[in-house]
Amino acid sequence: MITAGIDVGAKMIKVVIVKDNKIVARSINPTGFEPVETAEKTLGEAIKQAGITRKDVNKIFTTGAGRKAIPFADNNVTEVTADAKGTSYLFPSVRTIVDIGAEEARGISSDASGKVLDFSKNDKCAAGAGAFVESMSRALEVTVPLLIEISHKSTKEAPINATCAVFAESEVVSLIHSKIEKADIAHAVHDAIASRVSSMVRRIPIEKDVALIGGVANNTAIVEAMKKHLGVEIKVPEKPEYVSALGAALLAAA
Amino acid sequence: MGAIEKFQEVLATRHQYAQDWKKKHNGKVIGWLCSYSPVEIMYASGMLPVRILGSHEVQDVTDRYLFPTVCPFSRDALAQGLKGRYNYLDGITMARTCSHVQGTYDNWKNYVPTPFKYYIWQPNHVQSPRAIPLMVREYKGFIAALEKFTGKKITDEALNKAIELYNKNRRLMKQVYEFRKQEVPPITGAECMEMVVASQLMDLAEHNKLLEELLKELPNRKLDRNHGLRLMMIGSEMDDIVFVRMMEELGCTVVIDEHCTGSRYFWDEVKLEKDPLTDIAARYVNRWVCPAVSAEFKPRFDRVLEHAKNWKVQGALVYQQKFCDPHEFDIPHLIKMFKENNIPTLVLEFDVTIPFGQFRTRIEAFLEMLELELV
Repeated sequence: MITAGIDVGAKMIKVVIVKDNKIVARSINPTGFEPVETAEKTLGEAIKQAGITRKDVNKIFTTGAGRKAIPFADNNVTEVTADAKGTSYLFPSVRTIVDIGAEEARGISSDASGKVLDFSKNDKCAAGAGAFVESMSRALEVTVPLLIEISHKSTKEAPINATCAVFAESEVVSLIHSKIEKADIAHAVHDAIASRVSSMVRRIPIEKDVALIGGVANNTAIVEAMKKHLGVEIKVPEKPEYVSALGAALLAAA
Repeated sequence: MGAIEKFQEVLATRHQYAQDWKKKHNGKVIGWLCSYSPVEIMYASGMLPVRILGSHEVQDVTDRYLFPTVCPFSRDALAQGLKGRYNYLDGITMARTCSHVQGTYDNWKNYVPTPFKYYIWQPNHVQSPRAIPLMVREYKGFIAALEKFTGKKITDEALNKAIELYNKNRRLMKQVYEFRKQEVPPITGAECMEMVVASQLMDLAEHNKLLEELLKELPNRKLDRNHGLRLMMIGSEMDDIVFVRMMEELGCTVVIDEHCTGSRYFWDEVKLEKDPLTDIAARYVNRWVCPAVSAEFKPRFDRVLEHAKNWKVQGALVYQQKFCDPHEFDIPHLIKMFKENNIPTLVLEFDVTIPFGQFRTRIEAFLEMLELELV
């Protein structure tokens, strides 16, 4: 059985191909303005990587914000269901999943089989998501990797209270004017996101183990801040941005 | 045109309906704001009572009058008045309940030209045994003001007739709700909502006839749709039919509701025990309670659970109008009660407009969760 999961995210499209319960290929591209074409292209790349042909793929499931826009998919599932499935495959001991993507964050409580027990999602606010890191890196005139790097070197706490990305940016500007070190501001940005996401995740019961997935889980400064705010150890899988796509592929095989 | 289509038409053209009614009956129309407003008395005065509702459109006219932390429904309703959409109203009234909608009333009174305005005082502890005589006195004041405005006496006979009409309406709607108990409900939650909201906008003599037609039609009605999972909707004010329709397209049916524009508004009849005014007052004192008038949640919760069980719901959507504190205080307890009864819940916070894409994902994820639970 060969299945593909396509995660049509707000920023990136991710494809995972699963053959007999094993990951055989992954590919990723920016979503852009033509999600259908990008999905087709990304799927094509993954198929090539797996050394198979399109005909070999038995089923395709989509997930993510644009999951309904892909006409060649067999079915679609929400990110919540896909996340739980994908994470339970990687870490069967995980009961609480935090997924931070470009525009959205989710907290999911699940059982060992990857069944969703409860979930919470952020509202109309992007201050607890990846796009916020990018906008703050622009405000601080550093690249995202550098923002993460300097954040680890911070020595002082600086406050950012705003729950809105736009207001938070003006707070960052005030911190710059107050001559706060760039490293401390970078740290404060990550802290603000972690605080916002943690507050949302606490709407569901937080049980061990806890995993952090989604593209933002690649940001080590966020991982550190999340550990601090939730007060627990956090598991981060390799290539955390592919977990939703993996879940969709696994659900397609079910 | 079937009854449901007629309800939909009235909802879509509610202002035209009221104005046509005025012309046809050479009558007057009175707007009311809260479901504790005694519609029976308004009807007995010969006026057409219509509930003032919002339009679910983005608006920018209320910030001068209401704090940004006033609930979206109260703001939306005031916006309709400020925009002149209710200029045909001859009067406006409300029975005191929550301070947000009271803000709507106060500003309407001062800034929306409406000839007749009457505020009905109602005790906060409406369940007190002393509430009934007090409310009767208040109703008497309301009646005197109405009589002066319309030049028409409100007799006991007119009150009894209005009670009879409203009681019949309540009974007929409950009969329609009975059909929602079926395994494959012949009517959707959105359609039921249209029926109940229309009852707050239409002349009940006409609405009752439509209900009788609908009750004849329902035993043979078959819907070409996947009825999916059985959900209950609980919260404060809710007339966002577009939202409910979207939700029901995702593989579920709202089989029962508990909110201010739904069952909580119409469920209880006026019991004929004493004189008409005492009976009406007793109805509002003993009715399905709104959290805004009572801090005691047991009577409400018992009924919610009873309905959830009788209509065999598989999940509950608890929604709340942003900043509606009395309802929000109840939510953790509601969730706990449902959890203890193995009914999962999803909580959504409503604003004047809602983020459709995000709500859709949440509802779909909730339905996926429920489906897995049933396997």
